[in-house]
Amino acid sequence: MPAMHNTTEQHEIEHLRQEHLMLDPRPRGEMNSMVMDAMLTTSWKFWVVFAVLSVVVAICLFYTWGYLIAEGTGVAGLTNPVYWGIFLVNTVFWIGISHAGTFVSALLRVFKAEYRRPFTRAAELMTTFGLAQAALSVFMHMGRVWLSYWLFPYPNERALWPNFHSPLSWDFLAINTYLLGSTMYLFMPLIPDLAMARDRSTGWRKTFYRILSLGFRGTEGEWTHLRAAMNIFAFAILPVMFSVHTIVSWDFAAAMRPGWNSTIFGPYFVVGALHSGIAAVAMVLVVIRSTVKNMKYFLRAEHFGALGMLMLIVSMGWAYFFFNDYMVQWYGGNKFTDALLHFHEKGPTDWMWFAMLILNVAIPWLTLWSKKIRSSPWALFFIGLGINIGMWFERFIIIPTSLAINFMPFTWRTYKPGVEIPLSIGTLAFFVLLYMAASRLVPLVPVWEVQEGQLAHTLRKVGKETIVSVAEME
Amino acid sequence: MTDSRSYLAIFADIDPASYALDRLRELGLSDEQMNVISGIPVTEAMLGRPRQWTNVPRLALGGAVGGFLLGAFLAFVAPVMYPIHVGGQGILPGAPSVVVLFELTMLGMLAATFLGIFLDSRYPSYTPKEYVPEISDGRIAILFECPAEKENKFIEAMQAIGAESVKPAEAQKL
Repeated sequence: MPAMHNTTEQHEIEHLRQEHLMLDPRPRGEMNSMVMDAMLTTSWKFWVVFAVLSVVVAICLFYTWGYLIAEGTGVAGLTNPVYWGIFLVNTVFWIGISHAGTFVSALLRVFKAEYRRPFTRAAELMTTFGLAQAALSVFMHMGRVWLSYWLFPYPNERALWPNFHSPLSWDFLAINTYLLGSTMYLFMPLIPDLAMARDRSTGWRKTFYRILSLGFRGTEGEWTHLRAAMNIFAFAILPVMFSVHTIVSWDFAAAMRPGWNSTIFGPYFVVGALHSGIAAVAMVLVVIRSTVKNMKYFLRAEHFGALGMLMLIVSMGWAYFFFNDYMVQWYGGNKFTDALLHFHEKGPTDWMWFAMLILNVAIPWLTLWSKKIRSSPWALFFIGLGINIGMWFERFIIIPTSLAINFMPFTWRTYKPGVEIPLSIGTLAFFVLLYMAASRLVPLVPVWEVQEGQLAHTLRKVGKETIVSVAEME
Repeated sequence: MTDSRSYLAIFADIDPASYALDRLRELGLSDEQMNVISGIPVTEAMLGRPRQWTNVPRLALGGAVGGFLLGAFLAFVAPVMYPIHVGGQGILPGAPSVVVLFELTMLGMLAATFLGIFLDSRYPSYTPKEYVPEISDGRIAILFECPAEKENKFIEAMQAIGAESVKPAEAQKL
């Protein structure tokens, strides 16, 4: 009998090891090699995709943007009253995508959620590259992009001065604070991994990592300063993250327009950003796991299961805020708001409105409750893709669709996008291209954080059950 | 004046490294004469080392104050210098000013925290340093300075505790 008990226990331990990365440690040197291999091994398929995306970016983004600059914003579908179109839909969408990187990394670090460890870097990269697309979209919307320095507060002979009472100026401050903050937050935990890459590289890569790792060795002092800074960042960047999308929502909510002038827009936008962002993190992780060497060791079903659970909870939060916003506007009885709500549900973009609810609420609720489904990478990928499409539709409905209906019915006109479509494809391709380039240059897994987590985890026997025990090491 | 030599003792694990630190103290070294270099953050408590000093939180606070002052300038001074009348709001409205103050305070704090690492760790520093690449592969190194006439005693003590290697610490290009 004791032998049988031992066998069962061994099976149980083996199962736990297979399930949890933190219980399946490998020597640090081996993990370093795996991450370096993942970075250095590039198949011809990668370069084909890279070349195709480069062409798409060159044509759809840079050429089309040049055309927009040369011809003026008349080549876009912007018109009166729809003077904010897909450029700002994309801005809000990309800022939303960027939210999850910080959310996953900072909030889960604050709450000591251990499953975060292998994918914080992948999420943080999304933040930086997502914000870059958001900034590009704002510049596209400006039209006369060479005058963008007018946003900076500086005394000048034309007496032009940014109006700090305007949400658009707050946007400038908030997005720049977040872009700088999230880039610094990406770089700090990267320093030890860059030093690891420096120690294992030759040629131009050695020089590249040597410069970027700043001379890091891993002395007690260096770790102390780095940890103190990372703790401050984890707490400080969260309110900044919330402020960014709240301020983006005020661009709309502070305007006296039907459908926009809502006090709940701040949290509604923040939850929406997390909804699309976490779904995008899941999608990126599925692609990384499937296409990058050795990633199956680092990214396991437990990580997708945890992200799937987050997606389900955030989907419920989004549904709550959506219904709250809809309900109060519907009940208000304002005839212009009524007209707008009918326009959403029965107008030319009604299919978007229904698709938004199906993709953001119905499908996640019907599927993600199941551990089997949410732990399955490709199922999560397609649910995440649906959520991102649904959230893009939501932003489209809030911006150009809602702008078509205002307090002056004689001006009502629908929006037909022009160069916005190739430019949107261009920003998406540029995001993927930047991510692919980064995956060849930056260790995608923070190896030192994984090893630190593995040191903290042990298996403990309580009665007849073997349970996972986590020590407080930080 | 006694000559001193620097050595780098490499350990596979935290436990022997912590015992080695105790042994170095027994042999007469002070904590200032030793430094631990590792591929993961090992806390002072695990190694029995004195708490490391860091200026990063103070710098972060200073940055926050600086950011707040810049925000106050933009929110309260600039509008008086360059008045813009918006939608019946006063020149110095309360709520919009809070947004500007918040963003610049946070920006100041984050930037100062980041710069704090550079200042405290003296980054970037590309001069040769005592280091071996095995450290980033998970080894723990103790860099210590001992009197030249007793170096054999120190080397033997480190080897007895389980050091994988004890070699003269030579500064090398990282």
